[in-house]
Amino acid sequence: MIEELEIILETTSKILQKHINHSLRQNIVSENTDILNLWNEIEKNGLPKISVKEKFGGYEIPFFSILPLIKIVNNHGTPLPLSETILSNYILSESDINPPNGIVTFATDTKNLQIKNNMISGELLSVPYLNLTKNLLIVHELNNVKKAILIDEINGEIINKKNFLAEPRYDIKVKNLNIAEIRPIKNNIDFNFLGAILRSAQMIGAMEKVIDLSIKYCSERKQFGRALSKFQAIQHQISEMAVELSASSAALSTITKLGLSEKNSNDTAILKIRAGFAAGKIIAISHQVHGAIGFTKEYELSYFTKNLNSWRNDFGNESFWEEFLGKRFLEKNNKNLWEYLT
Amino acid sequence: MSKFNFPFIKETNELSNLRKEVREFITTCINNNEFTPSPDAWVFSADPSFSKKLGSKGWLGMSFPKEYGGHQRTALERYVVTEELLSLGAPVAAHWIADRQSGSQILRYGNEKQKSSIIPRITAGECFFAIGMSEPDSGSDLASVKTKATKTKNGWKLEGRKIWSTGAHLAHYMIVLARTSPASEKNRHEGLSQFLVDLSLPNVKITGIPDMTGQRHFNETLFDNVELSDDSLLGEEGKGWKQVVGELALERSGPERFLSHFTLLDSFINEFRNSLIHSGTKIVGKLISEIQTLRRMSFSVASMLQSGESPETQAAFVKELGNKFEKMMIETLREFSNIVPLHEWPNQLQNLFEDATLRIPSNSLRGGTTEIMKGIIARQLGLR
Repeated sequence: MIEELEIILETTSKILQKHINHSLRQNIVSENTDILNLWNEIEKNGLPKISVKEKFGGYEIPFFSILPLIKIVNNHGTPLPLSETILSNYILSESDINPPNGIVTFATDTKNLQIKNNMISGELLSVPYLNLTKNLLIVHELNNVKKAILIDEINGEIINKKNFLAEPRYDIKVKNLNIAEIRPIKNNIDFNFLGAILRSAQMIGAMEKVIDLSIKYCSERKQFGRALSKFQAIQHQISEMAVELSASSAALSTITKLGLSEKNSNDTAILKIRAGFAAGKIIAISHQVHGAIGFTKEYELSYFTKNLNSWRNDFGNESFWEEFLGKRFLEKNNKNLWEYLT
Repeated sequence: MSKFNFPFIKETNELSNLRKEVREFITTCINNNEFTPSPDAWVFSADPSFSKKLGSKGWLGMSFPKEYGGHQRTALERYVVTEELLSLGAPVAAHWIADRQSGSQILRYGNEKQKSSIIPRITAGECFFAIGMSEPDSGSDLASVKTKATKTKNGWKLEGRKIWSTGAHLAHYMIVLARTSPASEKNRHEGLSQFLVDLSLPNVKITGIPDMTGQRHFNETLFDNVELSDDSLLGEEGKGWKQVVGELALERSGPERFLSHFTLLDSFINEFRNSLIHSGTKIVGKLISEIQTLRRMSFSVASMLQSGESPETQAAFVKELGNKFEKMMIETLREFSNIVPLHEWPNQLQNLFEDATLRIPSNSLRGGTTEIMKGIIARQLGLR
């Protein structure tokens, strides 16, 4: 399986390299044929269903093992919700729902959801790329059972559209919307955990890119007669970014190896805290070393830093997970800290 | 920017059992009043009799080969033992440097006589080392050392000064970095060599330097034309730079870079558990996330060392993050005094805290400064 994954990673890199340029990211609409072509290429290679069971036509590679793929997708700044689709399809498949073809997005959060007669009403919040698909996953808890809900004909009233972000996001109010499928999620997996892991892996891919961009820019840009990268002040700032990234990557490799279970749910919290904190530092430093050019729409840095800003806030920010970790240790434990950590 | 990975390494059941065994041993020592846990114990708290005890338990020179009295265990096993010793503030300073870096350095570069005469004594907890790198005029700029070793008829003559050598006053040997030929125009790293110097030799003069806490742990050592035997050279003449860089990877990547003040954190949490539940869950969560990340990284480096890699850069990552974490931890505790004023803390905790506050500036100096760590990383990123 490791070899299989290696090949997939390599192929994906090639596809993304070939199709993505920064202008593609500025026109994320369903009428853009370049966007459609890229999606078709992605789908042809089976990537959306990489973690879907074989019986539903997937590769059945465990979601946690494909986190390196999520990293690559976002390292290339892919202006499509491939990461969201992979996670949605995984959750659907784990709930024994056959995932649809095409893009599947999800509601990052919800408000006032009500389900009656196989229809759903309420607010679906911060839905990425709603403009590109009719398929949407909602995870909703009913009587302590977490359910996966598939919508395949989304429509409703857009109540907020966030244009200033790199990826399009929508809040939508739906009323009596037909549910295509609804089933309990296997092992009652918490969507907030999976989402936090997904966003962290995306952040790490994007942070790698941001550091590479910073290194490249500072090595080319000359001021005071020498490349910026030759100034110690600049070197130290870039090193600081690398240090933050390395800690986040270490936290991710834990999840990639261990996956997610009751026993190691702290690791998800640690990952999201670490990646979110690193993102904050890296956004600030990368813009600082880029100067004004990084603040323009034309240059690609901001595409990545805007995404980092969204992702660090999704599925619980650092404070949320710090509270979670701290509470868990202090309230449910009489052990001293070292015993608890080991 | 994906070349510096820290692959996840799982702690096996055998390792967890070893951890338990060490913990029980240390806890018994504490309960028997054999020592009082103290912060920064790997620098400040030397107890040769405790070191000897660890030696007889088989917990020193753990990864050294059996033929030299070692235990041929893994770097991961050693890691687990050192974590336990640090987290409980055990008095490990006497043997720390010998066990961490000098022994490995001798095994890697030493000749047969050096190995067979010294390694078994390190393993037994009877032979201690000091580091001979910095000099009065050479701190971060290590390649500028002026200590000179000149070839004589019977060996070498050593002349110069080393400074900031922790525990030199208790140590039997020092590995000294000295110039054996002038630096070339192009490469300052050439012409350096390492020497294994017996500190009881005539014309070695060790003077203590009290640090800002008033305690003595570091020293200045004068080598006033010290006659060294021929086989005092450690490794190859002129290859000292490469050797010393490898030694620094051992020095920088361990858990002492983030567990030096763990005893403070542990007592703090035990004391204020109830107040923390109401107003400190977030800070405790933040600290847990940092420690666990650092532990994973440092453990990962131990596994790299085990497989014979030279993780110099990864070690710099661990040290830099670890130093930052410890500073942040002390600041976090200080801010908590807004909730329970410092004068209401139990005396022992107040003392631990104030002690840590005093000592903390040294954590990002010893073993290489923050600036040096960042420089190493920058070089690996292709910026230099």
